[in-house]
This record gives sequence, C-alpha cells and structure tokens, in this order.
Amino acid sequence: MTNRIYNILFHTHTVSGLVISVALYVIFFAGSMSFFRDDIVAWQRNEPIGEATVMTYDFERILDTLEARYGDLYGRNISIRQVYQERNLMISLKPSQDSLASEKAKKAVFTYLDTQGFDENTYLSGYNLGEFLYRLHFFAQIPYPYGYLLSGFVAFFFLFAIITGIIVHWKKIIPNFYLFRPGAKLKTLWTDAHTALGVIGLPFQFVFAVSGAVLIIGSIVMMAPASAILYKNDRIAMRDELTKQLPHVEFTNERLETYARVNDLVNSVRMIWGNALLSKIEIDNYADVGMRVTVMSQPLQHDRLLGMGRMAFDGATGEVLHEEHPQDAPGYVFGADRVLRKLHFGDFGGYGIRIIYFALGMATCFVILSGVLIWVEARDKKNVEPWKRKSNAWIASIFIAIALSMYPVTAMAFAAVKLFPEVDQPMSFIYKIYFFPWLVFSILFSLKKDNYFATRYLLITGSIIGFIVPIVNGLVTGQWIWKTLHPEQLQLFVVDMFWLSTSLVTLFVVLKMKREKNTIKTTKATNRPISMTSITS
Amino acid sequence: MPANKKYLTKSFHQRFAKITAAFLGGYLITVTFFIALATWLDQAATLVTMIFGGFILWSAIMVCTFLFRNGWVAWLIYLAISGVFGAVIFLSTMNTGT
Repeated sequence: MTNRIYNILFHTHTVSGLVISVALYVIFFAGSMSFFRDDIVAWQRNEPIGEATVMTYDFERILDTLEARYGDLYGRNISIRQVYQERNLMISLKPSQDSLASEKAKKAVFTYLDTQGFDENTYLSGYNLGEFLYRLHFFAQIPYPYGYLLSGFVAFFFLFAIITGIIVHWKKIIPNFYLFRPGAKLKTLWTDAHTALGVIGLPFQFVFAVSGAVLIIGSIVMMAPASAILYKNDRIAMRDELTKQLPHVEFTNERLETYARVNDLVNSVRMIWGNALLSKIEIDNYADVGMRVTVMSQPLQHDRLLGMGRMAFDGATGEVLHEEHPQDAPGYVFGADRVLRKLHFGDFGGYGIRIIYFALGMATCFVILSGVLIWVEARDKKNVEPWKRKSNAWIASIFIAIALSMYPVTAMAFAAVKLFPEVDQPMSFIYKIYFFPWLVFSILFSLKKDNYFATRYLLITGSIIGFIVPIVNGLVTGQWIWKTLHPEQLQLFVVDMFWLSTSLVTLFVVLKMKREKNTIKTTKATNRPISMTSITS
Repeated sequence: MPANKKYLTKSFHQRFAKITAAFLGGYLITVTFFIALATWLDQAATLVTMIFGGFILWSAIMVCTFLFRNGWVAWLIYLAISGVFGAVIFLSTMNTGT
C-alpha cells in the first residue's frame, strides 16, 4: 500500500467515523440492551413466562373471547402470533367479508391479548422500557421515515468506516494486536485499545453493519428500484416471488354449520412435529366454506438454525391442504432473509449468545469512544491553532457527556418504571424519564469540560443506581433476585443479574481509574481541559 | 498523527466529485448490476442477495472512489459501467415483454 492510498483511506476512515460517532454509539448502546428486550418487558410487568409455554394456549377459548368482544368472527381473516417471549398474543382480525355482517364485525381489529385473564392492551397502553430501548436503537422516536433513514445510513457508513479502518490497519494487524501500553501517553493508549478491540470485534461489527442496514433501509434503498424495474411496482407479485405464500382462498359466502376446531388442528400438528415450536396461526375466511387454517412452526433451536414448518387444513373437512416440514431445508430465498434476522437479533443460541453479543456491543461502544478521543488527542498539539484545539476539546467533552450519560440514565429508567408501575401514558412517561435526564446530564457534564470527572462520576452514578435496580424490584414486587432463578422466572433473574454484574464491572473500572499524570508538560500550559482517564492495573 | 495532508484532495470541486461519485455513482452501479444480474439469473435469489450484497458492493465502490486522482474521471467510468448494466436491463426486459 502506497503512502498515498494509506493517507487517503485513513482520512476517509476518520471523517466517516467522526460523522456517525454519536448516533452509532447510541445505536450500539441501546441495541446491546435490546438483546434482552423480552426479559426487560417481562421484568417491568412482572410477568415472566417460560420459553416452553409460548403459543401453548386454548385457542378456542381465545376465539370465543374475541367473538364476544368484536362480534361474529364469520368471514374474517384472523392471525394469532406470539412474536416475543411475553404473555401477550398479537391478534389481528380483518373485517368480515360477509356483506350482511354487523358494523362491529366489519371493523378491523389489532390487539394484544394477555393469555392470563384475557385483558387487552393497545400498543400505547402496553408501551414499556424494553420496547423503548429497542426502538431507540433505530431512532424510531424521530418521526418516520427520518429516524429509520438516519439509523440505516449510519449503519451503512459504519460499514464503510470498518472497511477503511481494517485496510488502514492491515499492515500492523498482527504485531499491534499484542500491543497494549497503558503507561504510555493517552493517544497511544486509545490507539492500542481502538485497534485491538476493533480487530476482535470486526466480524461482529461487519455482521451488524450489514444486517442493520438491510433490516432498516434494505427494502427502501435496495428493493425499491428493483421493484420498479422488474415488477413495475406490483408489490404483490414481488411479495409472492420473494416469500412463500400459500395460494389465496376465496370467500364463498356460505356459512359452515360445523368446522374444524383450531385446538384439534394445533394438537395434530404438535403430534406430527413433536420437535417444533408453534409460531403463528392464520385462519382465512373463518367459518366459511372457504375456511383454511394454517399452523406455522419453527424447528427447535438446538435442532436447526433455519426452517419453516407450515401445515394448512381445510376448515370444513380438516383435510391437510399443504404441508412443509419444519426440519426441511427452507431454500435460499427464505433462508438468506432469515439468517440476516437471526444474526442481528442474536436469537439462535439462548442467553449465551446474547451475553457474548452484549459484550461485543459494549466493546464496539468503546471502539467508537476511543476513536473520537484519538482524533482529539492527535490534534492537541502546539502547532495546532489554539481555537481549533479548544473546539476539539469541546467536541470531546460533549461526546463523552452524551455517550456516558446513557448508562446512568438507563439505570434510572429501570428503577423509575418499577417505582411507578401504573401510569396513564406509559410512552410519554418513559420519554420524560429518559430524555430529560439525558439532556440535563449531557449539558452539565459538557459544561464541566473535564472528561476524567465526567467519566468517573457518570460511571459511579450508573453503578450505584444499577445496584439499586434489583433492590427496587425486590421491594416493589417481592421478587428478590435469589427467588427467581428457575425456568419460569428466568426473565426476572436475567434483568436483576444484568444490573448487578454491570454495576460491579463499572465500579471496578472506576476504582482502577487514575487521572493521567504523565501528560506532556507543554499541553498543560495551554489550559487544556484535563484529559480522559487512563485505566491502569 | 492525522493523515498527511499532502495526499488529500484540496480543491472543492474535486472533493465534491469524489463524494458524489462514491455515494451516488456507487449506488447506481450497485443497483444496475444486481438488477441486470436478476434478469439473467434466478430473479428471487438475486434480489435477496442484492438486499445484503448491495450494501457490501456499494461500500466497496465507495472505498475505491477515493483512490481516483480525478473525481470527474471516476464519475465518467461509473456512468459508463452503469450504462452498460442499464442497457442489459433494458434489452432483457424488452425481450421478455414484462
């Protein structure tokens, strides 16, 4: 690699990395927490469910309940899913196709039905901290589509930044991997940490940059031109080709006196495919001669990574119309899409993979942080104009304040949702308790302009509140951490344990922190804000 | 050490050309390449590949663009390449009548 290429790519790495830094940090921080989304939801509501109980309910009773509430189900298309490991089912009822149906039955319904007690929730009334953090990681709080586009392009520029980063680092990739000089000057320390953690995290980061861009802007940016040119914008034709749809069944307007019971069909699917998890039930043309019941299932985690089982029954006769085994290879088109999702959500290896992903996510946050600090340190020299050095120092302290405040603010939000379990508008409540303290912390610690101080006290605050979170949970619900370590309540245990262990780790880091002593003398004379911590052991 | 400035592009219009060629030109090549491929290979499989492979190809083209000495030359080459792919798409969608 010539000097020219090296310097050009180095510059593009610096610029692209700096531009996306804050947004990317927020994405990785909130995204890493989102690996535990379901646990956070279950913990907040104190409604843990065991993994094995997902989609094991009395569906006849559920349909009866829906009929009592939303009018005759005749002629409706119904879908029942349990996307997350939480008590609520997601239920969609399409308007009845019967022209004589009551007004009630002609309304579409989308509802969240609690499988215990059959209480219903809307999206807003069921809004919670797990959903908030999950949405924060693709900026869904910014009006659509700007938040999505922003996060999608940040993911894409992150891909650019890691490619240029690894090329720039290529020649020194092996010797520098073993290099860590905690006693050296800060710039060296940050560089060593940035490159070593960057190389370790590279496969992880590559996967998340690509899958993140695909999931959030893939259909807009990549598929839109293909759809326009190859399918003349016929979205249904495109969907049929890219996803495996069953043939459409017509509504006949002829009511069935007796029809197959969904519970029986589900049970027969369970009998045939003992080793599969039910994922969705779809009913077309309920109670009509054209009724069809489709039961979908996935292979168990330890059997296969991919697979979609699907058995469709004729509602009138119970005869099997279509069968795809969950253990069969699902084919490239379905498989490629599913693999990207699985890699991104980390839902293929239980808690083990989530914990590793979380650690790598935090390492990536550190790579982003150290990248910005390298940039500042590298420009903090005598030959750089004073106003530039001052503004660079400002940028660093603002960045540190915004990034590191996320930790105590998140811990506070966990404690707050436990202390105030019943609020009228959960969404605005969570926005208030999250964004307002975040703003205040960011402003105060930016103004202080002391990165050592900011790091130390934001970590300590986060750690103390983090220790309090399981205690608050124990006091409010009586579910103390030592009581919840069994399969049915594992979700509660995971969240309490999460705060306990992260608090311990950050406390340890804070205790090991020392204010840098060996800064170059000349820099002190220029009234430079005291620089970041050095962690020495 | 920041990158050595003597290797970096200084003039505004050159910078503008490189950045736009990287972002827009790169996108144009990526999209036309995959759509042209889709008219020739299995359509669904190619499009599913495009949705993730597209971002990888696009970012690779972006990296290469900054190595050009003249950004307008990059634009010219990119337009020519996507023109060729565009012609392939045009001819094959004409033939199938879709």
